[in-house]
Amino acid sequence: MAEPAHRADEPVREVPFRGGGFAPRRLRHLAPPFFLLLLLLWEGASRAGLVSPLALPPPSSILTALSDLAASGDLRRHLEASLYRLVAGWILGTSAGLLLGLLIGISSLGRTLGIPLVAALFPIPKIAMLPLFILWFGIGEPSKLATIALGAFFPTVINAYAGIDNVPRSLVRMGQSFGLSHRAIVFEILLPGALPGILAGARISSSIALVLLVAAEMIGAQYGIGALVLQAGNLMRTDQLMAGVVVLSLLGLTISALIGLAERRLLAWR
Amino acid sequence: MQLLFEEVGHAFDGLRVLEGISLSVAAGETLAILGPSGCGKSTLLAIAGGLLRPARGRVRLAGTPPAGCLNPLTYVFQDFALLPWRTVAGNVALALEATLDRRARRERVAEVLRRTGLSDFAAAYPRQLSGGMKQRVGIARALAVRPAVLLMDEPLSALDAQTRELLLEEFLTLWREARTTTLYVTHNLDEALRIADRICVLSRRPGRIRGLLEVPLPVAERTAPENAARIGELRAELWRMIAEEVRAADRELASAREPVDG
Amino acid sequence: MRNPFRATVVALFLAAWPLLPVQAQKITIAALTFVSSSPLFIAQDKGYYAEEGLEVEFSFFRAAQPVAVAIASGDADFGVTAFTAGFYNLAGQGALKVIGAQSREEPGFDFSGYLVSNQAYAAGFTSPEKFPGRSLGMTQYGSSFHLMIGMLADELGFPLSEVKLVPLQSVPNMIAAVKSGQVDSIILPAHIVKALEAKGNGRIVGWVHQYTPYQLGGLFTSTRNVTERREVVEKFVRAYQRAATEYHEAFNRLDADGRRVFGEKAEALLPIIQKYTKAKPQSIYNGAPYIDPLGRLDVGSVYAQIAWFKENGLVDEKVDPAEILDLSFIEGHFNIPE
Ligand SMILES: Nc1ncnc2c1ncn2[C@@H]1O[C@H](COP(=O)(O)OP(=O)(O)OP(=O)(O)O)[C@@H](O)[C@H]1O
Ligand SMILES: [Mg+2]
Repeated sequence: MAEPAHRADEPVREVPFRGGGFAPRRLRHLAPPFFLLLLLLWEGASRAGLVSPLALPPPSSILTALSDLAASGDLRRHLEASLYRLVAGWILGTSAGLLLGLLIGISSLGRTLGIPLVAALFPIPKIAMLPLFILWFGIGEPSKLATIALGAFFPTVINAYAGIDNVPRSLVRMGQSFGLSHRAIVFEILLPGALPGILAGARISSSIALVLLVAAEMIGAQYGIGALVLQAGNLMRTDQLMAGVVVLSLLGLTISALIGLAERRLLAWR
Repeated sequence: MQLLFEEVGHAFDGLRVLEGISLSVAAGETLAILGPSGCGKSTLLAIAGGLLRPARGRVRLAGTPPAGCLNPLTYVFQDFALLPWRTVAGNVALALEATLDRRARRERVAEVLRRTGLSDFAAAYPRQLSGGMKQRVGIARALAVRPAVLLMDEPLSALDAQTRELLLEEFLTLWREARTTTLYVTHNLDEALRIADRICVLSRRPGRIRGLLEVPLPVAERTAPENAARIGELRAELWRMIAEEVRAADRELASAREPVDG
Repeated sequence: MRNPFRATVVALFLAAWPLLPVQAQKITIAALTFVSSSPLFIAQDKGYYAEEGLEVEFSFFRAAQPVAVAIASGDADFGVTAFTAGFYNLAGQGALKVIGAQSREEPGFDFSGYLVSNQAYAAGFTSPEKFPGRSLGMTQYGSSFHLMIGMLADELGFPLSEVKLVPLQSVPNMIAAVKSGQVDSIILPAHIVKALEAKGNGRIVGWVHQYTPYQLGGLFTSTRNVTERREVVEKFVRAYQRAATEYHEAFNRLDADGRRVFGEKAEALLPIIQKYTKAKPQSIYNGAPYIDPLGRLDVGSVYAQIAWFKENGLVDEKVDPAEILDLSFIEGHFNIPE
């Protein structure tokens, strides 16, 4: 230890630390007890009469409503109806969106016509279009699928073509220089390169689909989680309403987890 | 194969980039192209590979491609141009997918990876590789198609000096083995003097041929101490030509507003 | 005092008590701008509330549900709306009490009518007996329209499951759906169905009062008002009854042949009703419902409605009609179960 020496007559102080922070991490094991505590406080407040059970039903009665719904088989019927609409509508909207996004991404005509079209139609609230959809598609399933599909369509288009635009042109040039066919350039270079954007778009479009599910099920739906929530609201069954909200939220979590899984699988190269 | 440039000229939206380039790259020759930044070297290379249609003149290819050649005009890129979602083997295989069946492809890839020392990295993704390794993949990919003409646009300029040296050593052997016609764009005089049979110096934009210089020593002997003086003379001559153009280009840049790149 | 927020408001109110003018007692009425709410407006414009020493502030809503919620939460003191499953569930929580009648489906007074789409009519749907196998557009399960078709099914002896019920959330949606033939039928108030029929957008095949006369809606206040501000409720009821009587005499008259007639009295009240409802005179005459002059309830009907809703799983089993009703403010309620 010869190095750290200093002249005795000079002032010496330690270098003050000023780094650190601004790097939030997820602390493990803290979230579950926190939520449990929140639920317990909520339940306690309800039991103590601090909040009216009508205004905010306690977790226990939400759970009871949920298990009643499950026991009667209604929950399954609601879920089946909603899942069908979500999946079918989302697939419809996403495939159409991918197609247009690809066209905008690779063709001048597609870009010239597509971008203003999307810019003009994207901001239209789909809920406001519902009466029109009903005139066009009737009050049955088609209008519900159309609502959800349209909600999923636009974010998919935008993310798909933005994703394609983000693929470095040098990679396309590379593909051409090796004599790859048009098709191979689209499927081996552009689409895989746009996949991160497309999956980010899927996250958005699936959330939008979930939000629109409730709107879609406003009209002419006997079953469906959205219909359940609306009906519970109208019947002042706030416990059922909250049960429906819980199911919607679980649905959202599940979808998000599935997309996360897809991302880990398909984007392992990142 | 022989590559013939005939009165090639090009302009981007009125910006004259290349003018009157007539040049013949002989079969098996390595021609280095030097020139100030922005003089049109990359443009010339893009025209040579059929990626850009020249405004004037034409480029022709003479002779018959070597046996098993899948892509006569093949690039090695400055930025490697690897697909990040494909493994090393997958990137090399990309160029073969349209032409070879699965088995032949696998054999060809394995062979090329072996030759370039990449066998252990066949399953790695580009993000896991250093710059030098990535360019090794770029070169392996180019070799895999058995090219007739290699078009290399500053293939080593993104790498650090030591890696550059190492790759240069390794691949000089590979290139000379195959005797592939090569067009090699670089900013680096020493690199050019090391590998080229001839060196073409382009003027500042619009790029014209400012001079053509033969390097009269066999490649293997250029690093020998007894040839240092001879190489030094060539280097000085090259530098004189280039320095003049670069200085003039800088002065023009200062006096005229330059259209922005891209 | 379960709600701390309300407690705070009350405390503030008590603290501010000396600052308030003592003469007039303030009340808030939650109302929809429907003709069925007319007595509320008449009492205001003719000064009946003022004569009782009440200072009234109106709070207008666009749907029935929020009216009931406003009373239950204490944001408003009095309201009138139609009975729905949601209303009964809310009332069953104990926060509000029905003290009198709004309108009712009374024989001879066309109010809610069965309107059939042109297509369905052409296909033979010409009377309410033909409901089985057809679809009916309504706002929601548990709405008064749902109740009306349910009562009709019981009355005519067909299972309700044979009618395809289509929830459409709003009246405009119902109208659009029947116009375009997306649903075979709807049930809506007279001024709407008559206008639709006049424009050739459907056919009226009957009136609810012809099949299932019933107590359509009620007058209600918060349980707190009933227990703590009884005299205010009594004052309000007196003013309401005066206005209801006036409305009844103007709009609920029949001539010797049983046809409805409107005279000078109705004309005199029109400006008041128009002021609040913004409706055209013809629409007001067409859609003026039967309102009991003294606000008397058909109590048996309320019991039957709750029973029907319970049977269909729309009203909580715990809801007890006796708990919801407070029959002590108005004399003469009828059809009271023993
Ligand atoms: N696609 C294009 N559109 C318009 N101008 C271009 C385009 N590509 C290149 N240029 C311009 O043409 C000129 C020559 O470009 P080029 O890339 O061929 O130069 P370079 O000699 O390769 O330069 P560097 O040494 O910097 O790589 C530059 O001024 C550049 O800005
Ligand atoms: Mg360049």
